[in-house]
Amino acid sequence: MNTGQPGSSAAPSRRQFLAGGSAVAAAGLLAACGGSSGGTPKVAKSVNPSAMARALSKPTQLTFWTWVPNIASEVALFEKKYPKIKVNVVNAGQGLAEYTKLRTALKAGTGAPDVVQIEYSYVPTFTFTNNLIDLGPYGANDLKDDFVPWTWGQVSKGDKVYAIPQDTGPIGMLYRKDVFDRYGVTVPATWEEFAAAGTKLHQKNPSISMTNFANNDAGQTFGYAWQAGARPFALKGTGLTVDINGPDMQKMANFWSPLVDSGAVSTDPDFDTDWYAALTNGTYATWVTAAWAPVFLQSSAAKSAGKWRVAPMPQWASGADVSGNWGGSTSAVTNQTKNPEAAAALAMFLNHDPASSMLMASKQFLFPPLKQTLADPAFVGLKPSFYGGQKVNALFAEISKTVLTNFQWSPFNDYVTSSNNQIFGGALIAKKPLSAALDTWQASVTNYAKQQGFAVTK
Amino acid sequence: MTITTPRRTKEREDLAGRVPPSSIRGRGWLPTIIMIAFFVYFMIPLAWLVIASTKNNADLFSTFGFWFSHHFNLFTNIHAVFAYSNGVFLRWMLNSLIYALVSAAGASFLATAAGYGFAKYQFPAKGLLLGVVLGAIAVPTTALAIPTYLLFSKIGIVNTPWAIILPSLINPIGVFLMSVYARDAIPDSLIESGRLDGASDIGIFLRIGLRMLVPGLITVFLFSLVSTWNNYFLPLVMLNNPKLYPITVGLAQLNATANNGGGSQALFSVVVTGSLLSIIPLIAAFLLLQRFWQSGLSAGAVK
Amino acid sequence: MAILARRGRPENKHAAAGYMFVAPFMIVFAAMFIAPLAYAAYLSLYSSRLVGGTVFVGLQNYTQALQDRQFLSGLERIALFFLIQVPIMIVLATFFALVLDSGRLRAPRVFRIAFFVPYAVPAVVAALMWGYLYGAKFGPFVQIAHDLGTAPPQFLTSGHLLPSVANIVTWEFAGYNMIILYAALLTIPPDLYEAASIDGAGPIKTALRIKLPLLRPALGVILLFSVIGAFQLFNEPQVLQPAAGSVITPAWTPNLYAYNLAFTDQRLNYAAAVSFLLGFIILIATYLVLILGRLRRRST
Repeated sequence: MNTGQPGSSAAPSRRQFLAGGSAVAAAGLLAACGGSSGGTPKVAKSVNPSAMARALSKPTQLTFWTWVPNIASEVALFEKKYPKIKVNVVNAGQGLAEYTKLRTALKAGTGAPDVVQIEYSYVPTFTFTNNLIDLGPYGANDLKDDFVPWTWGQVSKGDKVYAIPQDTGPIGMLYRKDVFDRYGVTVPATWEEFAAAGTKLHQKNPSISMTNFANNDAGQTFGYAWQAGARPFALKGTGLTVDINGPDMQKMANFWSPLVDSGAVSTDPDFDTDWYAALTNGTYATWVTAAWAPVFLQSSAAKSAGKWRVAPMPQWASGADVSGNWGGSTSAVTNQTKNPEAAAALAMFLNHDPASSMLMASKQFLFPPLKQTLADPAFVGLKPSFYGGQKVNALFAEISKTVLTNFQWSPFNDYVTSSNNQIFGGALIAKKPLSAALDTWQASVTNYAKQQGFAVTK
Repeated sequence: MTITTPRRTKEREDLAGRVPPSSIRGRGWLPTIIMIAFFVYFMIPLAWLVIASTKNNADLFSTFGFWFSHHFNLFTNIHAVFAYSNGVFLRWMLNSLIYALVSAAGASFLATAAGYGFAKYQFPAKGLLLGVVLGAIAVPTTALAIPTYLLFSKIGIVNTPWAIILPSLINPIGVFLMSVYARDAIPDSLIESGRLDGASDIGIFLRIGLRMLVPGLITVFLFSLVSTWNNYFLPLVMLNNPKLYPITVGLAQLNATANNGGGSQALFSVVVTGSLLSIIPLIAAFLLLQRFWQSGLSAGAVK
Repeated sequence: MAILARRGRPENKHAAAGYMFVAPFMIVFAAMFIAPLAYAAYLSLYSSRLVGGTVFVGLQNYTQALQDRQFLSGLERIALFFLIQVPIMIVLATFFALVLDSGRLRAPRVFRIAFFVPYAVPAVVAALMWGYLYGAKFGPFVQIAHDLGTAPPQFLTSGHLLPSVANIVTWEFAGYNMIILYAALLTIPPDLYEAASIDGAGPIKTALRIKLPLLRPALGVILLFSVIGAFQLFNEPQVLQPAAGSVITPAWTPNLYAYNLAFTDQRLNYAAAVSFLLGFIILIATYLVLILGRLRRRST
């Protein structure tokens, strides 16, 4: 367990109101963070820049929980810039496994890390319990305009910033060119075309499905719902609006039901051995998935190299250009940290420093939320042979701009995820009407929210 | 019913190996066939594991499960397992070894002393204590892991090896086993004569009793070893630092990483081969300690 | 009179020594087990929510659990599991032990160790192996069925999941139980067999008339452990969950329910109550098994 070294006192005493000279403060903070300036600096409560600089040059030990493999390279860049800060990188599990440990440690009052990787979908779960500190006073707000707007909306409330976006998952469509060619399928631009293509494909070869809608992946369910314009959750204080069976979700559910019933769309659990095999063998003709998928396929479906291409996500309206997001993480600072300045600096540097961001994009293949990296020719110009030389990143970079803003997650994402698998996923497997499943799901979540003390409205 | 000393058991075992004098030769083929069938049944998953360990990641998903692929990748896989994340796999194995050995040693000693006390002595509330100990087996502790964590956190042993070792020192079944064994293995007369010679109770226990309890002790040791080595849930909850993970938690995390994309690392072959490597030590321990736990069990099984 | 003499005062002279021997274990037991248990029991009397914090609710969690349909259906499932899996496993273990002991098997040591080895495999690895073997699309059994032209077995569907899990548990523990029984068989004095063979008893009669009755105590022990194990079923469904998707519901077994309440739903207090309730039910079940055992013994 790493605790900070004595030397920097607790955060609250550091926050001082600036009477004036905010531009100076902003410049100083920006210099400390190493980013390029975007918009005009705001007047806000913030940490005095010299105090910040002082804190960053004191010997400090930080603990960073993350499951990004080999992130030591990016962390090394940070340590080079701030030689007095040592970062202990710990893989405490992936996703839910890490959140469980995090929550237990937070409850116990000790043992939580300084900086922690949290997916967008879980940020509200941890901000609701006040476990993440506001990074605004440490200069986070100055980074706002450097990030793709919808990502900033996911991590902030007004000028309170609770996490820094690390990577994203804008959704596109990966398809098997060889399968499309063999069965005479043209690349669908709308969902209607997608359904028609799927039906035709499945008729010609019943052992192939147009795509797989996983019965155990809330990220997929909500990613598609996101594109459809759904807003299943809205939190205001302790008032929660739950709208899982609203018209947009219904539209999505009613679209998929007939395809699932006919078998044109399969409903296998994803990320297991059967599913990898299916992707490799072309049993799924497409995978409507996030920007992190291309690279991921390259290792797990290696035998299908050269056969995949990427296209935009099918649209609800002809000519529209809208997408949703599936997955993606942030870096946040917990309220147990004894070194908020250093922790905030780490979170901001990792995800905002151009070199670090580019490294994450090219080495770990995390899809960047940073505008600068998204425009960088080195990133955008890549033509992987796995995709027949297509400029995959360029396409996803464009898609990234079309992700709808204002999608919100619930403050109890564990429960929502689990109930997705049970109710919505259960209906997918059993080929029961998805629209009815949404009603059941709505009731279940509403009950849970009420039981937890929320004032629930529809 | 009395206990059978190890030597008599061995006699009986040898007897079992010989064809009995009365005629029944040649009529043994049906049970043998059934046993062979079950042999296959018990070995199938392990056979799959061995075969899968020789395949590379791509072949794992595209070749028939029960036969080899064209590429023999076993040594590459083994190398990848030990190279993963700067050799953390070896660390995990060492952790398992340390936790298991220390816990088993402590648990068997505690259980032996307690079993001896319950078997050979009378004292007030003895029945109650024994009942509570046995009743403890019945309570499922999975959901109680968090309260345990919170409590341990207050005394500061969370995320340290003690959070694994200390709870593993408790083996209620071991206490029960040893109390039965001690009751039968150590005649009261021996203790009486020891007392007449002026020895203290501890002296009698250490010098006379313990020696006679060795087979039972080794049995409890082995079962504690297996139980701690295979323990997944306790270390999962108590440990946040991967360097402290035992092999069970490490493998599970590796499997989860592989399942969730692994950040473009081809990890399944590492998971499969790692699983194979992880079960070898225990199997070896079984083989080596065979003689001891057989006789230890034969006493405890007879109430 | 003899009983009284055994428990008479002269023994209590050494009561202090008795305490001394059990003390080390009891101290660790109290600290590592009783204390967390007591704390959990305390927690079970409260209820905490995301909004509103923690309040004292007395026994409300327990009454709620007794009416909780998820808890009750999990309990039903476990009872069914127990009634099916345990007898099968015990019959198998007994058969194996008897064959091992019959002297008619070649290389008994090989069989003995091979059947016992699954016990050494941790549940994580066992579930990995069986998860793959059960694979609905590319598992080897499905591949074989495909080659043979028969319908592929569906191990992980809701109808077949309980037997599939029962299979894994049997695979893991049949050998362990066999060893216990076999060890008990080894303690039977050989003269009993000689007497039987003089009377002309064949191997099956010997097994049924002599060995089985003498195995009763050992059978009782493994029955007891199996009861507890069955009612506490958690590991195997938990690790199979990703492969079996929504078929393994969060309350598939009561122990799994308690776990999910604590870790997914953040309902720590209710989870504690469910755990204690389950523990109490298990105690009742083991007590019943013990009583039935004693009744049986008295009637023969």
